[in-house]
Amino acid sequence: MDISQNLEKNDRKFALPVDSEHKATEFRLFSMATPHMRAFHLSWISFFSCFVSTFAAPPLLPIIRDNLDLTATDIGNAGIAAVSGAVFARIAMGTACDLFGPRLASSSLILLTAPAVFLSAIANSPAAFLMVRFFTGFSLATFVSTQFWMSSMFSPAVVGTANGLSGGWGNLGGGATQLIMPLVYSLIHSHIGSTKFTAWRIAFFIPAVFQTLSAFAIFFLGQDMPDGNYVRLEKSGEKHKDNFSQVFYHAITNYRGWILALTYGYCFGVELTIDNIIAQYFYDRFNVNLHTAGIIAASFGLANLFSRPGGGILSDVVAKRFGMRGRLWTLWVVQMIGGFLCLLLGKVGSLTASIVVMLVFSVFVQAACGLTFGVVPFVSRRYVLSPVC
Amino acid sequence: MEVPAGFLLVSLLLFSFAATGYGITFSSLPRSLVVTTSPTQGQGEEQITVTWALNQTFPAGTDSAYRTVKVKLCYAPISQKDRSWRKTEDEMKKDKTCQHKIVSRPYSASNNSFSWTIMRDIPSATYFVRAYVFNAEDHEVAFGQNTNAERATNLFEVQAITGRHASLDIASVCFSAFSIVALAGFFYMEKSKGKASQQK
Repeated sequence: MDISQNLEKNDRKFALPVDSEHKATEFRLFSMATPHMRAFHLSWISFFSCFVSTFAAPPLLPIIRDNLDLTATDIGNAGIAAVSGAVFARIAMGTACDLFGPRLASSSLILLTAPAVFLSAIANSPAAFLMVRFFTGFSLATFVSTQFWMSSMFSPAVVGTANGLSGGWGNLGGGATQLIMPLVYSLIHSHIGSTKFTAWRIAFFIPAVFQTLSAFAIFFLGQDMPDGNYVRLEKSGEKHKDNFSQVFYHAITNYRGWILALTYGYCFGVELTIDNIIAQYFYDRFNVNLHTAGIIAASFGLANLFSRPGGGILSDVVAKRFGMRGRLWTLWVVQMIGGFLCLLLGKVGSLTASIVVMLVFSVFVQAACGLTFGVVPFVSRRYVLSPVC
Repeated sequence: MEVPAGFLLVSLLLFSFAATGYGITFSSLPRSLVVTTSPTQGQGEEQITVTWALNQTFPAGTDSAYRTVKVKLCYAPISQKDRSWRKTEDEMKKDKTCQHKIVSRPYSASNNSFSWTIMRDIPSATYFVRAYVFNAEDHEVAFGQNTNAERATNLFEVQAITGRHASLDIASVCFSAFSIVALAGFFYMEKSKGKASQQK
């Protein structure tokens, strides 16, 4: 009885070619086949929605700052709060993925942070504004579940591509929101006729609902591993149930995790900082109007469409020839160039030069993020993602 | 010698045009209008009445180039603090002190008055009123304001609407509660799936 059941499992037909762990060895972007490609599309769309929510406020700040009487300090603090909550949330998320599986971990986090986005609509003071941005920012921890999920579904040969695309297209939300939110706002303001101070509040329902729907999609349509969900696999004995303190201990004592955390802080951390301030920078320094500043800000984040995935693909390409050493060297070179361009951006004085430098800088800094995650899946096979993010 | 004289005149005109076209600074404008508002200090009401007239102590003929007057609502220094989007710059093109237009009228030396109902999208802040005078080329040539040079007297506050409505509050809270309930539902479903596969 047992033998025939095992045979059945090994003969299971997958839409994509798989390895011995049933991880896909090929990446087919336009397929939606369960479980591999479906997991990819669910994860990047939900991560995209979290980015849209987290950075929904910056493009509407000219209205919000007048409504809530914010000072520049209030705005700066809220921006920091939006991205700092995710630091600890991501560590917790890694552990949650190890213990409950990415499907449940990510849909839970998304549903837990959706209230913060809904409640943004009724914020009434600088303090309230900071709180909603802080708690909304926790949703950026879905990045961890995205990467974890990709690492469970795709084999080493294509994991860089899968991670880069899912991460990059998620990050795209930070750029897309600079276009989406002003559009939604002006539709509500002119067509429904709400006053400015009501229209921005209604506008926040859009990212909030989108986020909630993506959580439902993950829960009902996704599965943790190629062979099934954690809960079923653990109960039937196919998957070993990990112990929290063991997982955590091994994660924090792995030096590789700490090094990558440091380098990632200086590519992704920089990317988020720029997301928060770039519109204001162009507005204040070059006196462009807010619409123009928003478009420039959007183009920084929209480069993620190809730059972060490009980093992931590049990582896989050099790995074919040079292995892990190739991945690490490429990461170093790309991040160094990104660093120099960041310095240059602060130095250039004309608007055109600034935009050009910013665009090239965005490509390099985002590619460095993609390259980082070509390395991360190899830090430890067992305790995949607890430490880094 | 018509041609050289004509040329000189044109270039003079062009030069004066260029001189007033770019880089008009606030500090170069004479304060030749007297502006008063009611209500005055400290009150927030729905209507403001603004009156303006030429300051009679200025020599006659000062207002020969005056064509239009634009009256604006301007931020007081306390509302500009730590808010670079309302900053005062001497160069008129870059100045962001006065962002709300009250009224625009053709110039006349006296008997000017306007009653303004405060618009709903004026943010909460402390304000004063300033009137700019424009010449035929639409460049600022003079101004007047209801406060002193330091912009510290006769300021008034405006209290904005919050933009919140009861329906919004309710929708917000309901959707948030729904998310949490849905999450609880997910966990319950997952647990029963786990039990079911254990029984298999």
